[in-house]
Amino acid sequence: MLLQVLLNGVLIGGIYAACAVGFSLIFGVLRIINIVHGEFLMLGAFITYWLFKLYGIDPFFSIPFSFAVLWILGYLLQKYVINRIIEAPEIMSLLLTFGLSLIIANLALIAWKGDYRLVNPEYAGANFRLASLTVPYTRLATSVFAFAAMAGLYLFLKHTDLGRAIKATSQNKDGARLQGVRPATIYSVTFALGAAVTGIAGSLLSMSFSVFPSMGGDYLLFSFFIVVLGGMGHIPGALTGGLILGILQSLSTNFLGAGMTYILIFVLLYIVLIVRPAGIFGKGLVE
Amino acid sequence: MWDWSGKKLGTGKPSGEKAIEILQVEKVTKNFGNLIALQDVDVVLRKGEILGMIGPNGSGKTTLFNVISGIYTPASGEIRFQGRPITNHKPHMICRLGIARTFQIVQPFGQMNLLENVLIGSMYGRGMPIEAGRNKAEEVLYFVGLKDKMYLTPNEVTTEDRRRLELARALATEPQIILLDEIMAGLTPAEIEEALKLLHEVNKRGIAIFMVEHIMKAVMTISTRIIVLNYGQKIAEGSPKETAENPEVIKAYLGDRYV
Amino acid sequence: MKISSAKLGVSLVLIALAAVVPLGVSGYWLRLFTFIFMWIGLAGSLNLLTGYTGYLDFGHVAFFGIGAYGTGVLMVKLGMPFFPAMFISAILAGLLAVIVGIPTMRLRGAYFAIAMLAFAEAVKQAVLEFDGLTGGGNGLSLPIYTNYQFFYYAMLGTVLLIIGATYWFENSKFGKGLMAIREAELAAEVSGVNTLYCKLIAFGVSAFLAGIIGGIYAYWMTFLYPGDAFSILITMRMIIMAFLGGAGTLLGPIIGATFLATIEEILWAEFKYSYLIIVGFIVVFVVLVLPRGLVGLVRQKARNR
Repeated sequence: MLLQVLLNGVLIGGIYAACAVGFSLIFGVLRIINIVHGEFLMLGAFITYWLFKLYGIDPFFSIPFSFAVLWILGYLLQKYVINRIIEAPEIMSLLLTFGLSLIIANLALIAWKGDYRLVNPEYAGANFRLASLTVPYTRLATSVFAFAAMAGLYLFLKHTDLGRAIKATSQNKDGARLQGVRPATIYSVTFALGAAVTGIAGSLLSMSFSVFPSMGGDYLLFSFFIVVLGGMGHIPGALTGGLILGILQSLSTNFLGAGMTYILIFVLLYIVLIVRPAGIFGKGLVE
Repeated sequence: MWDWSGKKLGTGKPSGEKAIEILQVEKVTKNFGNLIALQDVDVVLRKGEILGMIGPNGSGKTTLFNVISGIYTPASGEIRFQGRPITNHKPHMICRLGIARTFQIVQPFGQMNLLENVLIGSMYGRGMPIEAGRNKAEEVLYFVGLKDKMYLTPNEVTTEDRRRLELARALATEPQIILLDEIMAGLTPAEIEEALKLLHEVNKRGIAIFMVEHIMKAVMTISTRIIVLNYGQKIAEGSPKETAENPEVIKAYLGDRYV
Repeated sequence: MKISSAKLGVSLVLIALAAVVPLGVSGYWLRLFTFIFMWIGLAGSLNLLTGYTGYLDFGHVAFFGIGAYGTGVLMVKLGMPFFPAMFISAILAGLLAVIVGIPTMRLRGAYFAIAMLAFAEAVKQAVLEFDGLTGGGNGLSLPIYTNYQFFYYAMLGTVLLIIGATYWFENSKFGKGLMAIREAELAAEVSGVNTLYCKLIAFGVSAFLAGIIGGIYAYWMTFLYPGDAFSILITMRMIIMAFLGGAGTLLGPIIGATFLATIEEILWAEFKYSYLIIVGFIVVFVVLVLPRGLVGLVRQKARNR
């Protein structure tokens, strides 16, 4: 029934948006496409899985761990590896993050095998009824959490000194330098922040979807789609893009079949690129 | 059309003829979201003249160049070259029609040698086949004084040479107008003298020059006319002397370097 | 880079040798060489786009797959003979590249890369969806043809074609325009290069050639599965081979492909997953240490001497 399908779409959309936010931020500030993004999600998801499986920690409580681990990983990666090619042609950062993603995804594959895992605490399948709609608790909770995380990031960027410095750098690298901010520090922090937020998103994902080492690829594509629609480095844009994607996927899976969804997304991406390449809010990838 | 090989030509300026307007920028406005980079800017460039454009940092000078050369489309306004509108033309079309430009931060083709760099200009800007284009490129390189280095790559030559290269590549497209964006930034006084002489030679061959410069002495010496931008608007226009004495200009410029 | 008569001589000798190989070797070696040529061809086709325009295509396998499936479908459903089927499929691949390229090549190179990844996924899904035509997940069976020497020569011939195209890119006006785009696209555009047009042509040619290889592959393998024909691993290998050898050079893809295909042959059976990790490290290594690839390294040493 249509309303239910839409609701599902909105709930998923929020999570997708959270997935894309880190990607969008990193691109907005560092101007690099971070192919390892998918692996950050995967790592966040696995952290939640293993904490749950081995120590019985409730998935929601694993979120600070994902945040911390991915922050450290992101910071180190940026500072010691990615920073070396930050001034080089774009293709270099693409290749580099691509290579890194190969390494991480396949290390995970060796360590944890390719099986699909599920994070299923006792309350996993429970839901409540609202009018004629079924609302799964977990979905609702992760969705709300996703919104909260994005709101938090938004406020951080807007109202803290560090956040404003990050925003300044995304607009104008030299302008930021004039304000006394060192781009190198900003890059490391932004990348770390982007990775950490993505880690949270990964944890949230793990509560609704299966977890496996090569899961990153699809979400990378989704994040890209969201950034095309919503614009780079623009959180409300990511939210809008995520919701649209979620609703689209829900509608398509229900009425057209799962296989068609990819095709639909690509066709839509294509149309948007022709008709309005700058995205809905005009902050997109084309000047 | 033009001979760069050093043969002596006439002064290039038609005497007694009414100077024709070859470029007309009319009420051009350009914004980036909430930022208004250019507002109702009117500029006219006459055949054979040297028009200098000055203004504080961020006043929209490079944006204007980007609009004229087709990199940006203005939100409103029109641009006409030799009478025909070019407002929505793509940059490569504008180049082929006869407007060339250099960039503030030079953009050489790093993996190609100097000859090949200039060759792109003559082949694509002027539409020549490879052999003829090569000859033209060599001529232009000789003109700017880089012929003996033509098989080196851009990172094997000096900064000043890279500026000359940028100029050479633009000249090889055989433009009628050349937009120079701070081509003298960072040069020593001796290098600036050289550059001014070179630009005079370019102008003598009938090419109108529209240049953005911060080095006052240079731009005031060589320009026939000056316009001043501030916060995206034209605030003054006139001869170099008039402009230098204009109180509006002085106000906008307090603290700028006078070389 | 005009060829000196020494280089020309060596090349002709190598080609002559390659031509007579099938007469003297067993099935295993014949197959190995055919594979190597296939990979040289694939890396070479990607190189025509990426090496010369600087646009990385993360979905290049799509064109290989379109060539493969197109050939298969035309042969099976319409009873078309091999060569026309392959040719038509390859042209289809080239045309699709241009169509998809028109909006996506206006983006910066990095976004083009991922947009192409999305494209490849979409094409794979389409093949799975329209299973009446393509056999979907059950695969497609082409007419059987076991003349393996034919496939060896087909791949070799395609490789020579690609080398010829690369040579032309290196030395022609068009090729120089592409290189200008790669080095400084905006500067190329304001110097009169119609960048979109040039990029699209390079893209179309590169896709067409990948399509030809796909067609040969389909007939050679006889059985096609979407997961194989559109595998992202294929794109990965193409990219790594081109960059390891040296993107934007004539010899780069040849060296990179031969090197990597040989390593694969040795490592694949033993270390399936470690292999990919090693590959990942090779990529990182190339980016940080050898951005010009092996060919670039050799050239650098030659210059410093």
